[in-house]
Amino acid sequence: MVLIVGVIILITVNVILLSFSSKSQSTFGLGRVGLSLVSPFQELVTRSIRFARDIWEHYFFLVSVAHENKNLKKSLNQFVGKSNQWHEMDLANSRLRNLLNFQKAPTNKVVAAEVIGKDPSGWFKTIIIDKGKSDGLQKGLPVVLPTGIVGQVIEAAGHYSKVMLVIDRNSAVDALVQRSRARGIIKGESADQCRFEFVLRKHDVQIDDTVIASGLDGVYPKGLRIGRVADISQRNSDIFYEITVAPFVDYEKLEEVLVILPPQKQNIASQQ
Amino acid sequence: MRYGFYISISLFLLILQTTILPYIPVVQGMYDLLIPFVIFISICLPIRESLPFALALGLIMDNLSGSPFGLYLTFYLWLFISVRFIIKFLRVSNKFFLSVVVIFAVLVENILMIAIFTFFGPVRQLPVDAFVVVTQQFLWALATGPVFLLSLLALAKRLNIQWDGAAQPPNAYG
Repeated sequence: MVLIVGVIILITVNVILLSFSSKSQSTFGLGRVGLSLVSPFQELVTRSIRFARDIWEHYFFLVSVAHENKNLKKSLNQFVGKSNQWHEMDLANSRLRNLLNFQKAPTNKVVAAEVIGKDPSGWFKTIIIDKGKSDGLQKGLPVVLPTGIVGQVIEAAGHYSKVMLVIDRNSAVDALVQRSRARGIIKGESADQCRFEFVLRKHDVQIDDTVIASGLDGVYPKGLRIGRVADISQRNSDIFYEITVAPFVDYEKLEEVLVILPPQKQNIASQQ
Repeated sequence: MRYGFYISISLFLLILQTTILPYIPVVQGMYDLLIPFVIFISICLPIRESLPFALALGLIMDNLSGSPFGLYLTFYLWLFISVRFIIKFLRVSNKFFLSVVVIFAVLVENILMIAIFTFFGPVRQLPVDAFVVVTQQFLWALATGPVFLLSLLALAKRLNIQWDGAAQPPNAYG
């Protein structure tokens, strides 16, 4: 009888604690122990694997490189022309901003980090990176790539951090359709797609539209690319679209990421 | 010797499932490899050694995963309690019994994950890929789980690890 009561109490306490930790994302101060203990070994193994792979790719696998080089040179020529065009637009933009007396957007410092581990379960989408508090990282910082948003830091230990990817089911990003400025929330769904929720049906959204961060969630800077609209469906009774977004970042092949540090207080003070 | 063996195996499994396996497309959807290990230590070690070890593994897994804190801790604790309870009544020198325990434990862990999403998650709905993930993990557990557990037992026997637990080690060679 005592055993049964004990088991029931243990189960109840267990459920309450799990419920609390899943809602508050609290780790009761124990969230960095495992990161600090295991991540050095993860880093060692990741570096060893990459070293071996680099040797293979750089010295033994050069057959396709010449062909790739030829194609890259061709596309480089095209992009040089486009880059010049954008440079001109950037200069014009600066001149117009000066005319309108716009404040200069604070430039954020970026830290490059290497991915050294991935979530062991198939249910959650997180990664471990080799930069932590000692490099200025803290909970809530955005993690990006030139191609798009990767996720945000959810736990920072001394030299390592845990990053929740945009495709994780607990992730949400305030977003805009770049072309029509229709606003909604990007939520993680599975390995290769996200849902774009709360987009009103009165707005114009089309397949292949680019979705960017709106900056209104206070985490991701405005304008960062997220993905493209892959599918749109409309239910008669619903006032919102059901939109599927294919992220620009290939989360299966993440190796290096950039963490955007918050603008330094002294810079803000000097601008004021 | 014993402690070195446990720590080496658990560290190897942690690195394997967080750093090596995620980059091998063929083994996508692998189950939690620490499940057979927790069963292994629950069967073969005394409570004063196996319980802290199982809890430490749960804590580390909670830290490395994006799951709500305490999920793995909870699961390993209940896996430990269940296995200790079962070996009081059933003979552990039975390969079929060990196979069933591993596969069942993998399924229960997946059910726990689904329950977390469904009842405590921000969206509170069944994940769209739940069936695929559970099926993949179940099939992997079916194919490799029992072999993996029996290999652990065989390795421990070969290394002459001394058992002083409540349960005698099962004969891994049948």
